[in-house]
Amino acid sequence: MPTRRSFMAAAVLAAGLATMGASPAVAQKNYNIASMADFTGPYADVMTQLTGARWAVARWWNAEVGKDLGVKVTLKDYDHRYDAAQVSSLWPGIRSELDPIVVLGVGGPDVAALQNRLPDDRIPMIMSTAGYGFAWLPDPWIFNPRPTYGHEAAAFYQWYHKEKGIDGPLKIGIISSEASPAYVDIHKGSQQYAADNPDVVKVVETVYTEVQPSDLTTQVHRLARNGAQVITVQTNTAAVVATKRALQAIGRKDIPILMSSHNGLPASGKAIGGIEQLEGDYAVYGMAVASQDPTTARKFYEMLREKYNLEAGWNAMTVMGLNQSLIAVRALEAAVAKVGADKVNGEALREAMVSTTITSEQTFGILPNVAFNTSAPFPLEGLTANIATVKDGKHTIAAENVPVPALNKW
Amino acid sequence: MDPSGVFATRYERDQALVRTRKQLAWLLAFAVLLVLLPWFVGPRLVATATVMLITAVVVVGLQINTGYAGQVNLGQAAFMGVGAYTTGVLALKLGLPFWLSIPLGGLAAAVFGFIFGLSAVRIKGFYLALTTIAAQMLFHFMVLNLPSSWFGGSNGLSVPPATLFGYRIADESSMYWLCLAFAAIMIYGAYGIARSRHGRAFIAVRDDDVASGMMGIDVVRAKATAFLVGAFYAGIGGGLWAYYVRFVAVDQFTLLHSIWFIAMIIVGGMGSITGALIGAFAIKVVQEAITSLGPTVVEQFPFLSGDIVFATMNVFLGGIIAAFLMFEPRGLMHRWNIIKRSYRLWPFPY
Repeated sequence: MPTRRSFMAAAVLAAGLATMGASPAVAQKNYNIASMADFTGPYADVMTQLTGARWAVARWWNAEVGKDLGVKVTLKDYDHRYDAAQVSSLWPGIRSELDPIVVLGVGGPDVAALQNRLPDDRIPMIMSTAGYGFAWLPDPWIFNPRPTYGHEAAAFYQWYHKEKGIDGPLKIGIISSEASPAYVDIHKGSQQYAADNPDVVKVVETVYTEVQPSDLTTQVHRLARNGAQVITVQTNTAAVVATKRALQAIGRKDIPILMSSHNGLPASGKAIGGIEQLEGDYAVYGMAVASQDPTTARKFYEMLREKYNLEAGWNAMTVMGLNQSLIAVRALEAAVAKVGADKVNGEALREAMVSTTITSEQTFGILPNVAFNTSAPFPLEGLTANIATVKDGKHTIAAENVPVPALNKW
Repeated sequence: MDPSGVFATRYERDQALVRTRKQLAWLLAFAVLLVLLPWFVGPRLVATATVMLITAVVVVGLQINTGYAGQVNLGQAAFMGVGAYTTGVLALKLGLPFWLSIPLGGLAAAVFGFIFGLSAVRIKGFYLALTTIAAQMLFHFMVLNLPSSWFGGSNGLSVPPATLFGYRIADESSMYWLCLAFAAIMIYGAYGIARSRHGRAFIAVRDDDVASGMMGIDVVRAKATAFLVGAFYAGIGGGLWAYYVRFVAVDQFTLLHSIWFIAMIIVGGMGSITGALIGAFAIKVVQEAITSLGPTVVEQFPFLSGDIVFATMNVFLGGIIAAFLMFEPRGLMHRWNIIKRSYRLWPFPY
């Protein structure tokens, strides 16, 4: 018969075992990620898509990958109004109070304000957009998982030229604007590719318009008269709408418009009053196309939606949020493998990024294989792009994994 | 009005910035506090203070141009940009030290501003506002279209950090002190201009340019000088900005920034150097507070999504400015003067 003393000892032992069972097997090391956002500036209306995707990836990764590694990530959003001055005053506080291992950026203001500070602070930043020629410098601390807009457009030109069996160079017209240095940089990439590959592409004219053009009939008519076979509009949806209206006005259904991810087919289709009006037009970008096709990327998105409370819709902004956050967590995995779960810092994460290939499987097809190195802020070799189109009124994939040609700097 | 028993017996005394020993003591204590600030607050606040100082220099220039001389100016950000680019080019390509490149940046901006000041001689009001908007556009297109080897074009311009005797001025504290030194000199200079014959000429031209011309004031010169001085201040602010961010691009100096500068002098109080400083401080404090508060609110109340919180904060910021324009259009400086006078007269009503 158990005595009172043995009963007490058993109770204490049981309580101790229960406590041990309740405590985690391995304490998770937390790493902070600064999530830059523009909730009150020009991109406020689409920002929840981008940040929602980032948060969902963090939740998924913590639960399914980080747990086994003994690591978790915590995101914190910072609204910078798309203003470099705001980024400049925010950053010292973020660095000292949050001590992030990586920053998820939004666009030009982040890059402008931080590109000369991050090397001092030894913290890398990952963007979601395509890269820019002006940021094409060696030893970067800011990384774009996608090459420049010029690279992406060049991939399309090469593909289209071959696909349509065009004799001689493909004649393109470019609609751009000088309102933003980024827009200028975008069309300079296409011009550079055309200059270096006169047998593939010829720019008939680059038309500069106001940033939100309302009527481009005269300009588009001139491009058509000069033989443009494709009109490239990689600026914004307003320019796509104006170009399409002009093409409709002059009755030219045979000249497709080429767009990018930020002004892509669904967004421009919505602006023009129906995606079916963009029948036969194209968008090109180096990440998954948010079409209705049952792709691996789409399945990953659906999984995040069902299990990890992702509320953002299936669109280009969500894919952009997914692409940068997936690169961040996969780079963290690589850094953990190199230096250990409790020794990762910004420098280790960057080192892991430039020395590890993040495969397309690791990003669930959101991105192609991404191999950064220290020669440029974006991968320069082995890149592919996807081409979307509207067929029978449906947003669909025209071509996948189209090789991205090499471009010279401009 | 002065405290009881304090009255001037000489003109210099009447024009003195500091009129009592107590004021001098407060001013010195405030100056010491500003110098020691980086030791007492975190890097976030030091960075915020640095941006405030840069903004204050630009806004004080606008105050001289618009608040004192009455010349509407919606191109102050462009003048700041000219200063930033000039400073950047001089530092990057000629390797000039900051103590030379920043003043030269200010001079370049002054020349650019002076050209537009000449148009103010013939036009005023709405038309002058449009001309200064043209300055904003001209700056933008010039930078983008001039050979990129000059100002970097769409690539922007990377600026090397400022150095002094081999010491790299790149961290928050040293940059703050650099901006504080320049701001102190520029603000002291602004008070001097406001009290000088030039300042009085500006005020006369602002109040009635025809009458001031009849009184012997060279109106043409006064208007052009106001633009020159205002743009010089903007250029100095731009030079500091170039060294602070170490990257200059045209989209850092937009019309929207010019409008914010106007908002600062309206909130602070037109026609007062102190008002310009208060306006710059007040607007920046509200902007920074809202930016800092947003993530914390989202963190503490996750059921409120980020877009709702941040959008509400922005509406709140706009609301404050609108309310200010409706209920205190003469600015915070006017309110402060009322409080000061009431305190000094108390318990008498007048």
